Amino acid sequence: MNELIPLMVIVPMMAALLLSAFSKFNRVIKVLAFVVAIILPIIPIASNYGLHFFGGYQPMVDNVTNIVYHPAITYSFTFMQQIFIAMIGILTFLVIFIYLTKYKKVSGSYLFLLFMGTASVTALILTDDIFHMFVFFEILALAQVGIVAASSIDYSTEMALKYMILGSIGSPMMLLGIGFLLAMTGTVNVTDIVAIIRGGLLDVTSPVFLTSLALIFFGWLYASGLPPFHTIKSGIYSKAEPHGAALLQSFTVISMISIVILMFRIYSYLPIFEFLIVLFSVIAMILGVSMALTQTDFRRMIGFLAVGELGFIGLGIGLGTQFAITAGLFQALNEIVITALLFIGFGAIVHATNEVDTRKLGGLLAYHPKVGIMLLIGGLAMAGVPPLSGFQSKLMLVQASLNCGYPELSILTIMVSIATFVVFVKTFYSMFLSPKPHDLEVVDNDVPRAMVFAMAILLIVIIALGIFPDIVTNGISNYVGGMLL
Amino acid sequence: MKLYDQIFNVVKKFKELFSPGPVTNADVSGSLTAEIFLIVSIVIASLLLRHINVLLAGLVTLILAIVLIFSIPLIPKFKIEQEDSLEKMLFYAIIVLGLIVIFLYWGGTLV
Repeated sequence: MNELIPLMVIVPMMAALLLSAFSKFNRVIKVLAFVVAIILPIIPIASNYGLHFFGGYQPMVDNVTNIVYHPAITYSFTFMQQIFIAMIGILTFLVIFIYLTKYKKVSGSYLFLLFMGTASVTALILTDDIFHMFVFFEILALAQVGIVAASSIDYSTEMALKYMILGSIGSPMMLLGIGFLLAMTGTVNVTDIVAIIRGGLLDVTSPVFLTSLALIFFGWLYASGLPPFHTIKSGIYSKAEPHGAALLQSFTVISMISIVILMFRIYSYLPIFEFLIVLFSVIAMILGVSMALTQTDFRRMIGFLAVGELGFIGLGIGLGTQFAITAGLFQALNEIVITALLFIGFGAIVHATNEVDTRKLGGLLAYHPKVGIMLLIGGLAMAGVPPLSGFQSKLMLVQASLNCGYPELSILTIMVSIATFVVFVKTFYSMFLSPKPHDLEVVDNDVPRAMVFAMAILLIVIIALGIFPDIVTNGISNYVGGMLL
Repeated sequence: MKLYDQIFNVVKKFKELFSPGPVTNADVSGSLTAEIFLIVSIVIASLLLRHINVLLAGLVTLILAIVLIFSIPLIPKFKIEQEDSLEKMLFYAIIVLGLIVIFLYWGGTLV
């Protein structure tokens, strides 16, 4: 059943093209989008683990060096890819469901962007080819720009344009770094590059190799929204439609872990690589949460919190042990779910009040108790309150940094979690518990049922992963163990 | 209450400039928390230098603590540098790119 592996990318991509082509037929694209959205999480669950060689080009053995070369673009599908692709599939389904039920006349172009983004991140996490990764990284960046620009929120086009301009620095640098790697190794397949390095056929202290790390690392910072790109990343989240922002943040998390895993396999021989990841992750954690504390626009606040949470993922991967990387990847999975819940929940509040300033809101618990309670649990999960999923991954990160001999990082992790808790309690109090301002009009008393349904599904995942983290961490740990061999 | 008043005045000025609207207790508390969080987290992060040299870590931590405390309030300055201005974003992106390339090209094998 390995034929299903490429279908994880081909199905959403073909759906995107068809939706764009038949965008005039509203009913047809609604049905097509819904059916494909249901299929997306099923494909990774039904597929067997294994490799897929595009074009059928099987690996070849070099008789001189005994290195196995992979001439085809190779997709690798293990438990780690399965869990992330399934989660992205579920999230895409929920977002498409919210979108289809929200509007009578839907946009084929917007659905094209949503499905193309999903196809891109799926390819990113599956591929073993660093140039293939770059191509989908570029498609993803354009899809993200389109999703933000298509939003009806003020200044969304301006923010999308800024993101694209900054991408014009980040992307070429990454491509240049890949070019340096290709020039030195003669291949873009990561497994082949690793074999060449392990075989001692490449000098890892060569300035060209180090520069390739610097350039690809910079591209990764852009893809991940780590500093100096944290401001624009939080900006695009706040200017996208809430359901779009929920999907955008998951794209960011998946592209972050996909690229960093490829980089880790190539550059982990250099201790400076892990040092750089930890450095930028710590800066992201500090800046993200301290900026979130001062926001009055709750969409921007969640945007900055999401950036701060990315720092936790980077911290786990930067520490470099099996336990720490597992914790980082588990945190990534949790962040996708928790942040999506918060974006959709706060989107419901915008829908009901047309207001995003926490100072002008209040007393909403009386109007929207379901949304309020689900948001509260989501916020507590993000802050790392037991027994929710965020607690499990953050506890693992604290233990991992202690095990690695960095108690300072453990203290910092706990401090950032406490600050996240403060941000959330402050915002929740202002919006839901404080007295309702006289001039606040609750324009739409009914929050769309699709939004409540999506939040409920995500909440179940949060609670399930909090109580039974082993169902995910064991599989991820095995994958990481194999990667570190 | 001196620190609270100081932060309150800065937040008030800041809101006038960037985000018109009433200054609430929650705003001031948020800024105050952010201020303390920022100083403490930077000081704690600087302790990591002990892996290079204990004396260096002690000196840097002490100097940073003094400089940061005497530079209060820091958050408005941080926030101004992290606004949505394309010029500032490009400036920091290019600076970081330069620093990473220089750091790795000449010092990549040292750490």
